[in-house]
Amino acid sequence: MKRLMNLTPSKPLSIFLSLMPFVLILFVYWNASNVRLAENPNDKLLPSFSQISSAVDRLAFNEDKRTGKYIFWVDTQASLYRIGLGILISAASGLIIGLLTGLVPIARSNLSPVVTIISLIPPMAILPILFISFGLGELAKVMLIIIGTAPVIIRDMQSRVLQLPSEQLIKAQTLGASTWLVALRVVLPQILPSLISSMRLSLGAAWLFLIAAEAIAAQEGLGYRIFLVRRYMSMDVIFPYVIWITTLAFLMDFSLKRLSQLCFPWYHDIESGK
Amino acid sequence: MNFLSIENLYKSYGENLVLERLNLTVEQGEFVSMVGASGCGKSTFLNMLLGKEKQTKGKIVFEGKELTQEPDAERGIVFQKYSVFPHLTVLQNVMIADEFSHSPILGWTFGKSKKEIKQKAMSFIDAVGLSPAIKKYPHELSGGMQQRLAIAQALMKAPKILLLDEPFGALDPGIRADMHELILDIWQKNKLTIFMVTHDIQEGFKLGSRLWVFDKIRQDPQAPNAYGAQVTFDLSLTTENSKAAAKELLKEAS
Amino acid sequence: MNKMKIALLVLTLLTCSNAFAKDKFSICWTIYVGWMPWDYGDSSGIVKKWADKYDIEIDVVQINDYIESINQYTAGQFDACTMTNMDALTIPSASFVDSTALIVGDFSNGNDGVVLKDKTSLADIKGQQINLVELSVSHYLLARALETVGMTERDVSVVNTSDADMVAAYTTNDVTSVVTWNPLLSEITAMPKANKVFDSSDIPGEIIDLLVVNTETLKENPKLGKALVGAWYEIMQVMQKDKAALTQMAVASGTDLAGYEAQLATTKMLYTPDSAVEFTESAQLPKTMQYIAEFSFKHGLLGEGAADSSFIGIQTPAGIIGDKKNIQLRFDPTYMKLAAEGKL
Repeated sequence: MKRLMNLTPSKPLSIFLSLMPFVLILFVYWNASNVRLAENPNDKLLPSFSQISSAVDRLAFNEDKRTGKYIFWVDTQASLYRIGLGILISAASGLIIGLLTGLVPIARSNLSPVVTIISLIPPMAILPILFISFGLGELAKVMLIIIGTAPVIIRDMQSRVLQLPSEQLIKAQTLGASTWLVALRVVLPQILPSLISSMRLSLGAAWLFLIAAEAIAAQEGLGYRIFLVRRYMSMDVIFPYVIWITTLAFLMDFSLKRLSQLCFPWYHDIESGK
Repeated sequence: MNFLSIENLYKSYGENLVLERLNLTVEQGEFVSMVGASGCGKSTFLNMLLGKEKQTKGKIVFEGKELTQEPDAERGIVFQKYSVFPHLTVLQNVMIADEFSHSPILGWTFGKSKKEIKQKAMSFIDAVGLSPAIKKYPHELSGGMQQRLAIAQALMKAPKILLLDEPFGALDPGIRADMHELILDIWQKNKLTIFMVTHDIQEGFKLGSRLWVFDKIRQDPQAPNAYGAQVTFDLSLTTENSKAAAKELLKEAS
Repeated sequence: MNKMKIALLVLTLLTCSNAFAKDKFSICWTIYVGWMPWDYGDSSGIVKKWADKYDIEIDVVQINDYIESINQYTAGQFDACTMTNMDALTIPSASFVDSTALIVGDFSNGNDGVVLKDKTSLADIKGQQINLVELSVSHYLLARALETVGMTERDVSVVNTSDADMVAAYTTNDVTSVVTWNPLLSEITAMPKANKVFDSSDIPGEIIDLLVVNTETLKENPKLGKALVGAWYEIMQVMQKDKAALTQMAVASGTDLAGYEAQLATTKMLYTPDSAVEFTESAQLPKTMQYIAEFSFKHGLLGEGAADSSFIGIQTPAGIIGDKKNIQLRFDPTYMKLAAEGKL
C-alpha cells in the first residue's frame, strides 16, 4: 500500500470525487426544502427546484408585465456593462501607472506612497464622499469598482516591473532604447500577462463592489434585483441570481485565462516550467 | 590619444572602499580579461565601464571624452544570464536593436526597413550559429544558445566596446569551449575591444590579449574596508612567450 | 439529617427545572420612533414583570436591519416582530405565515414624506427621477401621492436607494427628489432648497406600525398576547408622563429629547387601548388594507400565485378583505379590548 500522499485518483474517480460535493449540497438543500415546504407549502426561505425554475422562466423568458422587458437579461446587461467598464478602466490605469511608477524612479517617489495609502482605504467607508464627488448614476457605480480594484492592480503592476531583472533594462539601453522604447517593447509586453492574472484576482472584489453599488442606488442590475426581492424574501429569485453571478464570474475568469494563454504562450511555458 | 584611459579612479560605497588609484590605458582591439577573488571589485569596475555605476573619484576617458554616465549603444553587454528578452523570439530579440533606432516612437518597423533589419539580424544569427532556431523563444534554448543569442544581439549595434560579465560561468565545460572559439572569432572579425570579467583564470589566459588581476595590496586587519583593490598585475598575453612569462609570474606571486 | 438534606436538594432541583420549563418566547424590534417603547420596556423590567405575571419568559431582541428582522420572523426565528401594515401583508402573510396584528401602536402622520429639490408643488414631480426604498411604505406613499395629482408611476422613474445612504444621496446633484421616513426625512427637509410636497398626514391612518405575532403561536399561548399587550399599555402610560423615560428612548434611537418629541409630533401614537381598539374597529381600516393589497399586487409583492389583489385574505373587525378561505393577516382587537377593560 502506497502512502496516502502518493495515491492519485483515476480519471473517472477524480470526476466522481469532484462532483460529489455538489450533489451532496443539492441533496441537503432538496431535503431541507422538502421539510419546510411540507410544513408550509408557501414557505419562501428554501423554495423547491420547480419554484426556482418557474421564477427563472418568468424573469428570463417572459416579458415583465409592468415594463415589457426581460428582467433577467436587462439586469445581466446592466451589471456586465458596469463591471466590464470598471475592470477595464482599473486594468488600464493599473497598467499605465504601475508601469510608470515601476520604471521611472521620479514617478515612483511621486505616486507610489499615495497609491499605497489609497489602496488601504476601504471604499465602502467613504461612500458618502463618493456620492458627493460622482453622483448616484452609472459613474458612481463604475467608480466604486475602480476605487476598489485599481490600487491593487497598480501596486501589483509596479512590483512586477520592479521584479524584472535589471540586466534586461540595461541590455535594452545598450541597444539604444529610450525610456519610452524600454517601456513599450521590453516592460509592457512582459507585464501584460501579469496584468491579466491581476485582473482575474480582482474580479472577486469587483463583483463585491458592483453588488454593493447596485444595492445602494440603482434601477436595474443583478445586485439591485437581489436586494430588491430580499424585501419580500423571494429566495426563488435570489438563488438563481447567485448561481448566475457565480457562472458569469467563472466565465470571465476562464476567458481571461484563455486569452492570456493565447496571447502570451512564452509566459505560460515559463510559468509551467518552474 | 588613448582609446580608453582610466585616471586615478576610486570607488567606494560609504565607508567601504572597493577600488583605489586605478591608472590604466587600453588601445582599440584589445581583449582584457579581468580576474580576481570575489568581492575584489572587478564587476564594479565593469559596471563603471558600462555606465551603470558612477565612480567616486577620478575619471574614465573614452576617445577623448569622459564616459557617459548611463548605458548606451557604444558599449554592448553580455551578462551571465537574463541578457535576452523572454517575450521575443530569437529573430525578434536580435531585430529589436535596430528597430529601436529606426522607429523611436512606435518601436516596431514594417515593410522595407523591416526587411533590411531582418537581413542584418539574420547575418549575426548566422554568425553565432542560431539560424535553425530563429522562431524559438529563449526559454526553449539551452544556456549556451541563450548566450549566443545575447552576443548576436549585442553585435547588432556594432559597439566599440563589448563588456562580458562572466558570460560563460553558467555553462557546461564542453559548451564553454565552443563558446570560446566563437567569441575569439567574433573579436577578430569585428575588431572589437572586449572587457571580460571571469573567475576562471584559465579562461582569462585563453581568451585575453591582456590580463588584469584585481587584488588588495594594502590590508588592515582592524579595518578590512579601509583599503580598496588595485590592478596588481597587468600582463600582456599577445604572444606565446608572454603568456608563459605571465603564468610563471603569477605562480611566483601566489 | 442527611436524608433531609437530600430531599431539600431534590426539591430545589425540581423547582429549578420547573422554572426552566416555563414557556419561552422571543420578539424582535428595530429602531423607529413608534417602536422605541419596546427598548424601554425591556430595560425598565416592565416586559419581565408582565411575563412573570403570566408565568412565561419573553426575550426582547433588537435587530439592526428592519427587513432582516421581518425575514427572521417569517422564517420562524421569532414569535413576534414590529413592522408596518404593508410589510406584514407582503412579507409574512404573502409567505403564508398566518400573522396577527396584536398591538396597533401608532400610525404615521407626517413621518413619511415626498421631498422635491427646488420645486414646491407635487405636480412638478412629473418626469423626475425619484430616489426611495423600492417596495417599502415610501413607495406606497409615492403611489398614493401620484394618484392625488392624477399621475401614475409611469410618469416618474423610481431609483431604488438604500435608506442608510438616503441623506448622502440627497446632497448629490443627480438626486432631485426623494421619498423617505423619519429621522431621515427631517434631516433632508432641513437642507436648503428642500420642499416637502406630500406627507403621510395627507393619507392619515394608512401607514400603521404594528406588533405582529404568529397567529398559531398566539392561539396556543394566549398568555403571550396578554403579557405583551399588558406590558405595552403600561409603557404607554409611563411614556406620557415620564420625561426620563422619553429621554431614554430618545438616546436609544440616536437623538435627544427634542428630536424624539419632534418625531412623535408627526406620529399619531395610540396611547390608550381604547383609541387603538377604536382605530382597529373603524371602517377605514379595511379600506386602507384594500389600497395596500392593490399596490402590493401591482408590484408583484403578493407572490407569483396571486391572480389579483384579493389573493390573500385580510381580516379586520369591520370586515374581511380578499379571499375568505385564505386569511393570512388578522387585525384582532381582542387583547387590546381586555386591556381597555382592565382585565389583564
